[in-house]
Amino acid sequence: MLQVKNIEKYYGSKNNVTKALDRISFDVAEKEFIAIMGASGSGKTTLLNCISTIDTVSAGDILLNGENIAELPAGELARFRRERLGFVFQDFNLLDTLTIEENIGLALTLNHCDPQTVKQKVEKIAEKLNISNILEKFPYQVSGGQKQRAACARAMIAGQSLLLADEPTGALDSRASKNLLEIMMKMNQDLGATILMVTHDAYSASYAKRVLFLKDGRIFNELLLGGRSRSVFYHEILDVLALLGGDISDVI
Amino acid sequence: MTLSKSHPSHASSGIQSKSDHALFTKLSLRNARRQARDYLVYFVTMILVVALMYAFNGLIFSDEVRFLSENTAQLPLVIALASIVVIRIICWLVSYTTTFMLSRRSREFGTYILIGLENGQVARLFLLENLIVGGFSLIAGILLGSFLFQAMRAMILTMFGTPYRLAFSVSPPAALLTIAYFVFIYLLAQRKCRKRIRSMKIYELIYFEKVNEEIVIQTSKKRRRIFTASIVLGILGTLLLLMGNLLFGILGAGCIIAFLYGFFLSFASGVPAYFEKRPAKKYSGHTLLVFRTLTAKLASIGILMATISLLFTVVLISEGSGQCFNALFWERAAQNSAFDLFIGIKGKEPDFTDYLEYIEANISVKASRTYDVYLSDDTRFLDYLQANVKYYFQTYDKDSLMKFSDYAALREMMGCSPVTPVPGTYLIHCMPHLEKPIQDSDILIQIGGRTLTAGGIYTENFNQKWDTTNGHMYILVVPDEVLENRSADHRIYAAMTEEPVSKAQFEELEAIEARYADMTDIHSTLYAKSQEETEAADQTVLFAFPLYYLALILTMTAAAILTIQQLSESERYRRQFALLRKLGMDRREMEKTLRKQFTIYYAMPALPPVLISVPFVFYLGNSIGDNMLIGTGRPPVIVLCMLALFFCIYAIYIVLAYTGLKRDVLPD
Repeated sequence: MLQVKNIEKYYGSKNNVTKALDRISFDVAEKEFIAIMGASGSGKTTLLNCISTIDTVSAGDILLNGENIAELPAGELARFRRERLGFVFQDFNLLDTLTIEENIGLALTLNHCDPQTVKQKVEKIAEKLNISNILEKFPYQVSGGQKQRAACARAMIAGQSLLLADEPTGALDSRASKNLLEIMMKMNQDLGATILMVTHDAYSASYAKRVLFLKDGRIFNELLLGGRSRSVFYHEILDVLALLGGDISDVI
Repeated sequence: MTLSKSHPSHASSGIQSKSDHALFTKLSLRNARRQARDYLVYFVTMILVVALMYAFNGLIFSDEVRFLSENTAQLPLVIALASIVVIRIICWLVSYTTTFMLSRRSREFGTYILIGLENGQVARLFLLENLIVGGFSLIAGILLGSFLFQAMRAMILTMFGTPYRLAFSVSPPAALLTIAYFVFIYLLAQRKCRKRIRSMKIYELIYFEKVNEEIVIQTSKKRRRIFTASIVLGILGTLLLLMGNLLFGILGAGCIIAFLYGFFLSFASGVPAYFEKRPAKKYSGHTLLVFRTLTAKLASIGILMATISLLFTVVLISEGSGQCFNALFWERAAQNSAFDLFIGIKGKEPDFTDYLEYIEANISVKASRTYDVYLSDDTRFLDYLQANVKYYFQTYDKDSLMKFSDYAALREMMGCSPVTPVPGTYLIHCMPHLEKPIQDSDILIQIGGRTLTAGGIYTENFNQKWDTTNGHMYILVVPDEVLENRSADHRIYAAMTEEPVSKAQFEELEAIEARYADMTDIHSTLYAKSQEETEAADQTVLFAFPLYYLALILTMTAAAILTIQQLSESERYRRQFALLRKLGMDRREMEKTLRKQFTIYYAMPALPPVLISVPFVFYLGNSIGDNMLIGTGRPPVIVLCMLALFFCIYAIYIVLAYTGLKRDVLPD
């Protein structure tokens, strides 16, 4: 579904060039749940921004369902993002002036969906994500976990093919994190959502089917869940992180 | 945050030393510069406000203006009274803006205290910054005000027909009075902030912004009911204002105040309730983003918005009423100024001897004519006008008549086009507002056994108001021979002079008029063009000028506060559009949404005042002018001028805010 081919990303001017991504290539299959891990500055968020068309690559190609997003004209990018990509951010990024229902419905409005059907569609997905009881509330009236589930609903409601999550559990306590990850897993398994999640948290990554490790802008290692239990997978991730020399706090 | 710019580590190392004092001043200067940039709208408004204050203070101390007439000597008192209101309003603007800046920068001030500055020092720093910004606007305002004063002086002297020469100078007493007002306003506003900073704790300062963010959007049923009730009150209030009765007017004003506060306080509940029942409408186009941004804003600044709307209502009604009265004064002056000198006498034996002796000895006359005005046998015209013209009231009980030869001579004196008599016809000379109804009448008149048909209508100013003039609002001009054996109702002396009749000459003529008034059975009327115009100019200067002064200050203050509020939201807008960009909204749509949000935000406090003031000013213009205001004095023209002046000033603030916000919040 998603093919990342030899992408490079440089920042800075002639005399002071920083290589953020260095010839990165990988494929994401449909209905896959993939996590990208790495220490601060390893290029995780840059990679996610390039895939999400928020940033552009310096070299290489990114293909989503065969369409090269690096070649999309500027005018097409907005349409591409709203129709094909869903976002979940660390700080929820819900508009505080809109109710939870409206925040979710916003994605449909932007996609020029028939206004008559928005409310029903929102109610349907809210039920699946167990947030039906908070639809009338404003973001400041609900918990972090509920906000993040609302963000997940917004990311999927318009039928987006790829859900991009940037540190989705970063602002949540452990219980809310677990709850959210289980919901993301459910979205992946039951609703068939393809998820690409950036995280520096091994526990979060253990919910994915595959984990890519980035170091200094390059892919350092890759782990597949395969038939193993999640607990075994979690420990394997920790081992790779130890090898990677990442933040000790991440490993502990 | 300017923490990195202001080198806090230096500031904390030793506050008492001289180098720290220099740092303290440097920090204040730097912050003041940033404050002027961030609050450009406020800075510009303060300059304009000072300029207006200085220009009006200049009028107080200008002997030239004060001694133009007896009435303009009252000008200092009127301006001083207006200044009390102006100072109160500017106090509000400065106090509001400084409190607002304090809330926006509370985290920064908290950090200063965190790194070792005392509360008192931070308060002093804030005061110094504000005084620097205030000082600059004071100097720039006085300089700009000097030009404005010259413009106003030129306008007033032109109205009084006094020659003038433009000269740029700063009037020390006017400047001192402006500075005194300004220092008073600033110190009062700063005292409040100083007190607040001194008593604040670091925690409160650092989390001050957060308190503002937690304002809850309430959606109670009670508020929805208030929303509906307020709309009803608004309509009722406007209708009561149009009843033309003092008690109803007061009740109407009360209803309108209740409407504005009720409407803006309940809007944040009423409108979501409307959309809640109509989800399809809510999710169509950009409605969702636009209405939610607006209701969120109104939930937190409902009272402010209502106050601004009330101020705008006062501004528009003041401007409109001022223009109506002004038009009325000038219209009356013009009506009575067809001749440089006009004397009418009614009595058994009308005699101008005393007047003529004085005129001959003291006034050089270019052309003059003495003639009689007669009354007809019938009342056909009078009856027709009373039946068909709304504001016509009777002064004579018969139609007024004059001879054609007199009329032709008077037209020549006035410089009007000549008229040729057509046998068997009469002419009508009436006030302009009667032209249309008379045109439709085609009345035959019978006089001296002859029947005459209508031969033409003329509407130049012709001294036709009140009695002992050229008829009341109309006069019928008939062939000389039909009036040969008729006795006159009153006699008129009309003259064009070489020089305008001076005040002293007019007073002498008035003394003669007073002598006539003492005689029984004699009634005399006296008009001099120069005196009529001076009177109108007096009224304009005493009445319209202070009204405009207040209206301008109110408009600028309210628009500045609205704009500061809007610009303060730039961070929220920036976050909103950054997210919308990620969610796939293109720039064109973002611009469209921002424009809509902007339009509604600025239209909301202006729309109720327009809906209230336009019918009111129409009504006032028609009723005080007895439907006689013409040309630029017509109510539609007054309404247009009133709206144009208001929206011109308002538009400057809207453009400033929109360009600033667009630059800051829309992603590249």
